Amino acid sequence: MQRSDRHSYLWSPIGRIIPLVVVGLIWQAAGTFRLVDPSFLPSPVRVAYAIADLLTGREIRDNLLVTLSRAAIGLALGSMAGVWLGLMMARSEVFRAYAAPIVGGTYSLPKSALIPLFILWFGIGTVTTVCAVFLACLLPMVVNTFQGVRSTPRVLIWGAEAFGTPPKGMLWRVFLPHALPDIFAGLRVALGFSFVLAISSEMVASTNGIGKLIFMYGENGAYDYMFAAIACVVVVAFLADRLLLIATDKCLRWHESSARRELA
Amino acid sequence: MRALTDPTPKIEIRGVSKSYPGDNSPVQALRAVDISIAEGEFVSIVGPSGCGKSTLLYVVGGFLNADGKVLVDGKVIHGPGTDRGVVFQEYALFPWLSVRNNILYGLERGGLASDERAKIADRLIGVIGLKGFEDRYPRELSGGMKQRVAIARTLACDPAILLLDEPFGALDAQTREVMQDELLRIWLETRKTVLMITHDVTEAVYLSNRICVMSARPGQIVDEFRIDLDRTIPREQLVTSDAFNKIRNQVWIAVRHQALAAETANAAI
Repeated sequence: MQRSDRHSYLWSPIGRIIPLVVVGLIWQAAGTFRLVDPSFLPSPVRVAYAIADLLTGREIRDNLLVTLSRAAIGLALGSMAGVWLGLMMARSEVFRAYAAPIVGGTYSLPKSALIPLFILWFGIGTVTTVCAVFLACLLPMVVNTFQGVRSTPRVLIWGAEAFGTPPKGMLWRVFLPHALPDIFAGLRVALGFSFVLAISSEMVASTNGIGKLIFMYGENGAYDYMFAAIACVVVVAFLADRLLLIATDKCLRWHESSARRELA
Repeated sequence: MRALTDPTPKIEIRGVSKSYPGDNSPVQALRAVDISIAEGEFVSIVGPSGCGKSTLLYVVGGFLNADGKVLVDGKVIHGPGTDRGVVFQEYALFPWLSVRNNILYGLERGGLASDERAKIADRLIGVIGLKGFEDRYPRELSGGMKQRVAIARTLACDPAILLLDEPFGALDAQTREVMQDELLRIWLETRKTVLMITHDVTEAVYLSNRICVMSARPGQIVDEFRIDLDRTIPREQLVTSDAFNKIRNQVWIAVRHQALAAETANAAI
């Protein structure tokens, strides 16, 4: 990316904090000057106290762990199933003929719309949340894997065949490696979806988890604690995304994108 | 040369025709192509662009089905085989494998021990002058380096036949000459049977025993030139010699004739 020298300070580690500080100051001012009723928008200072209080207790940690494990299970199962489905669709015309209408039909469906159905089938609890996450993660993985496998240049396929690679070996030696950049791109989308679906599903279909916690603080009018819990989610989601980007960079050192991939 | 009088040709292309489905009617890419290539022969196919030269090579490689027959050592081929090593126009290196692993790729099915394979790979990395680049990925290499790796990868399996699809087409003029000399040296050393597709007449005359000129689509072999030049003399002397230029001009005029015919045909449509 081209950056003009005049604004390069914005990209230094300290510069990156500036926009956050600006938002915080506006937020604080909104409360101090009574632009917004402080009981609906607690000031950053009060939220900071709430965060400090939450971090000393077990509540936030335990619920976060519950949510993270649900999201991780759904993401792992959804990604594996998605890669497999995408691969099958790309390599088998018959399979694609059956799967394509289902994938196409459900791709743009908001998966949260299915949560009431899952509650009916699986009740309140982990299974419902994992199912919602699973479905949300499945489709970006299917679409990206399919795209990555289908775009394999025919000379790579022919080259591998000329070296005697058997059809089974083609999947592991040619198609999956070629699809890997697309699979990682899909994984990043799926990771975001896993947080969205885990938390929104817990709000309505769980007795624990960070989603339920946020919902309860909101219900009880403890808005400073609600913001504090949201802030914890933001930090965890941000860190998860960074970890995935670092892993992507490690796995795709061979790819053209690795020279210009940025932590954006 | 004993090889050239051998009764069974190494490669025999018999009545090969190939059509692709087009928008309205099928497009015929090749029509009744017959070529016999003796063991140890270096045959080039030249012709106007889009005449189906590469299609013919892919049929011989076993990647495309076509009407007619292709025989290798007297046996009809069904699909690709390790007896025919292919170097593609676009290099076709696996971008996710390092230089060394690209070269090792084809050796895995040969039944050699791993230290044996490593030895072959190391020797070839030396031959192509890429010592120190073993662990680089293809994206970190120049076009010329990539093409050297592609050739080394194909040579590693020691195929009896080399199929080359415009192997130097994407290289700059200087690198191309260096690579041509390299290929000539390898061919003189190993006497593999080579079928090369090119649009570069000078390259074809410089390297081949025989040149087949292909017509515009549908591709047919319309002319054939035997080349008897002394390959042991240095490039400057050979390329500036009267014998070289005489045959080069003949081939060039034959190809130009086909290219003009193709253009007239296109204009008529």
